[in-house]
Amino acid sequence: MIQKIHHVGVVVRDMEQAMRFYRDTLGLPVHKLETIQEQGVRAALLTIGNSEIELLEPVVPDTGVARYLERKGEGLHHICFQVDDVERDLATLKMRGTEMIDQQTRIGLAGRICFLHPSAMDGALVELCQPLDDGHTS
Amino acid sequence: MTDFTLDHVIIAVRDLDAATADFAALLGRSPSWRGEHPQYGTRNTLFRIDNTYIELLGLGGGSGDPRWSGEIARFLDAHGEGVYALALGTSDVDATARDMRERGLEVINPADGEGIDIDTGARREWRNAMVSLKSTNGTRLFFIQHKSPVDALPAAPVVAGEGAHVQRMDHAVVLSADMEASRRLWGDALGARLALDRTFPERNTRILFYRLRDITIEISGGAQQTEEGLGKPDRLWGLAWGVGNVEATCARLRAAGIEVSGPRRGIKPGTLVATVKGEHAHGVAMLLIEHTPESFKPESRQPHGEAFDNTPQSRAFAVKALDHVVVSTADLDATAATWASTLALHASESLQPEGAHFKLAKLPAGNAFVELIQPLTADHRVARTIAERGQGMYSISIEVDSLDAAVADLRAKGVAVSEPEPGIWAGTRVARINKSAANGVSVQLIERPKAPLRSQGQ
Repeated sequence: MIQKIHHVGVVVRDMEQAMRFYRDTLGLPVHKLETIQEQGVRAALLTIGNSEIELLEPVVPDTGVARYLERKGEGLHHICFQVDDVERDLATLKMRGTEMIDQQTRIGLAGRICFLHPSAMDGALVELCQPLDDGHTS
Repeated sequence: MTDFTLDHVIIAVRDLDAATADFAALLGRSPSWRGEHPQYGTRNTLFRIDNTYIELLGLGGGSGDPRWSGEIARFLDAHGEGVYALALGTSDVDATARDMRERGLEVINPADGEGIDIDTGARREWRNAMVSLKSTNGTRLFFIQHKSPVDALPAAPVVAGEGAHVQRMDHAVVLSADMEASRRLWGDALGARLALDRTFPERNTRILFYRLRDITIEISGGAQQTEEGLGKPDRLWGLAWGVGNVEATCARLRAAGIEVSGPRRGIKPGTLVATVKGEHAHGVAMLLIEHTPESFKPESRQPHGEAFDNTPQSRAFAVKALDHVVVSTADLDATAATWASTLALHASESLQPEGAHFKLAKLPAGNAFVELIQPLTADHRVARTIAERGQGMYSISIEVDSLDAAVADLRAKGVAVSEPEPGIWAGTRVARINKSAANGVSVQLIERPKAPLRSQGQ
């Protein structure tokens, strides 16, 4: 059950440079900046109202985000919806035969997450997340 | 990609016997080795703990190579006792020296070395290569390849009670005045994995965590890079020891006459820490840290991972919210049906404005909505984007308090913004930021009519 748009993900080549626009020019406060080695990205979360913009900079080659950057350049990458029970939603989607990138939920920057395959959504990359209890903006 | 271990940490001391007694008490272990290096003119005591070993290094034991003994004497004169060097373990020091030179480090030619245990006469052999201080911002580093088997240096026997001895090294702290130079050394040259980059504005601190297997090298500097700090040497400052039970360890140390403060909660959630103070620490800032199952949960990285610097910059407008996200499609009806059946996001409104070359559907999603857009002519900008990048994620629309103020402010800062115009959605006014200014994202600014009428959402 979708509760809200949790964030939109933007792939950037250079985090510092991206911060100059999103943080400094637009004035969106950063509330998290972290390198997630398993995903090969440096990620920043900026607050926008009761939603977020996630900036993603690939730090190792050959990951999904790095390939996206190589193929398409910088730009809007995905949309993440907050749900109340991501395990149940994933199970339902799989049962209906929706093509998924993640067959199991995993921990991401936004909490417990899973990605649908873009082919399931006519090309849009959609993430579902269920924030963890501690502190994350929700 | 390199994969160094933190082979050992060297602490320079003035009185090796006194330091050996103090460290045996601190660690709750007896030494693994007491030796001398005839060729260096130095003596040492080694403690192998679970994931690395500690070398206390003092002068004596023959005249030796003044490159080593002279350097230690100068260090003690200039800084007093303290962490002297970090030894990075490699399986092939000659290959490492070549690689690291290619990455810009000035590595002195590898040389063989040996140590002799003064009690048992046992010998250990290695081959090491020092890195010039000029290319490491002042952190003494060398690469070492052990030629003797690992068990040539036995674990330091535990003499303390349950949970009260030092099990492992948790992290080593390097103070840096030039964070960018530190990042080049640990990240670019040494290839260590960056696990965290966090700034605490209220404490004026920025920390970088680099991992060498399970040991963290913590680089700590100011929240803002200062002009004076550029090019200043780093300082090996402190060590954090992992213990099973910090309270039991504190009690044992106090009983041994060693000054300890704590335990208290650590910054990393789920940890308990205590600080060792006074002369028994021999110039090393020391932290005892106890991890609990909670501190190992990936979730605990959450509050641990913030990092940045929200420098206030003056703006004539405020961003209020993410208004909507635009998703492009070549077939609006089919895509709307897909979003409805897959995500239960249903179109509340569909429209094809008179004379417009596109049609839209609005899918409310709680705090904001998804707008599906289908271009109806091949030269519409959405059609061109679909041709270039495929259909899917297209743009975002962000609500500002005053569109005119935002446009003027952004233009004054050199950002290209279109003239404000009426938006598609009732009562709105919009302007578009050129995507080259926004990292390839097409960003629409939208101003909604003031209350009471809000057409957003459900």
